[in-house]
Amino acid sequence: MTLAGWEAVFFWVFAVAALVAALLTILARNAVHSALFLISTLVSVAALFVLLGAEFIAGVQILVYVGGVMVLFLFVIMLVNVGAEERGNEMLFNRPAQVATSAIFLVLLSLGFIYAIRQGYEGLLARDNLITQDQREESATRRRVRQQDLRPSATGTSLLSTDTQLVGASLYRFAALPFEIASVLLLVAIIGSVMLARTTKQEAATDDLETARDEGLVNRES
Amino acid sequence: MNNFIASAFALVWQEAATPGRWQTIRQGVLEPDLSKFLVIAALLFVIGVAGVLTRRNIIVIFMSIELILNAANLNFIAFTRYLQDTGNLNAVAGQVFTIFVIVVAAAEAAIGLGLVIALYRNKETIFVDKIDLLKW
Repeated sequence: MTLAGWEAVFFWVFAVAALVAALLTILARNAVHSALFLISTLVSVAALFVLLGAEFIAGVQILVYVGGVMVLFLFVIMLVNVGAEERGNEMLFNRPAQVATSAIFLVLLSLGFIYAIRQGYEGLLARDNLITQDQREESATRRRVRQQDLRPSATGTSLLSTDTQLVGASLYRFAALPFEIASVLLLVAIIGSVMLARTTKQEAATDDLETARDEGLVNRES
Repeated sequence: MNNFIASAFALVWQEAATPGRWQTIRQGVLEPDLSKFLVIAALLFVIGVAGVLTRRNIIVIFMSIELILNAANLNFIAFTRYLQDTGNLNAVAGQVFTIFVIVVAAAEAAIGLGLVIALYRNKETIFVDKIDLLKW
């Protein structure tokens, strides 16, 4: 699998953009700036997904992460007071000893990663060498034929990807039960976050009516 | 110390002077393959872990966790494309798994931010080193 030509150019542009924005996310003093840099990281990663031929996942990434999760983050930043950190009265990072320890740990971790990727990649290359030239050409031809068979879009400037169709078919044929479990998980998350974010007054109103009435937190009979 | 620097230079020089080394690097830059995606994902993961370990603001820690999950997603998608090109396994299994990762990330963000709001209401702070109720 290699990218070539303009794909390679866009790969480097978006990869560097993702890394720089990720670094700025954890370095920014203002939490809102952090959120905005995280959005640019997510968009760059979505662009990498498009380069890898996963158009549906790229769309889901932008809709769910950028449209949903990050808006939630911005709301919570608005609700809690982070002014002290912004003005520079509060330290941004933990105490120096902790930061130094984690820096050493992370340098070792990334060196280990790069070593492991190089080693594992040699293994993958060895696996590739086992695949015969015929099989390689066959899968390349299959890919080319699939691309040629795509329907043009309404404006005729681009082709409609079948990625969504493939993912949907695979999702419902092989992962129908996990799909249902995921919906239950989302329901639990909604109910749980509503329970967690109640005010003390609301909590008293639903949990312990007698005490609440005694303390005068609720005044009407309910 | 000087000795150490000299030997480090010697190592780098030896690596750089290997015949065909620059050719390989040039090839890798012009035609990025699977390993480049894996390295980018590993760096994103390490940046995310750095955020989790060093920041004090709990909201930024949550954002770093999202970065870590995204690095995992990038690995899944890269291997999906690799298997599409070289094998004939279920070609979109990685993409299906990525959807589940995104669902769990959304649920985690909702619960986590609910916790942050409850915490702020009770403790008036969102700095993790000031939240030490469970510490003896």
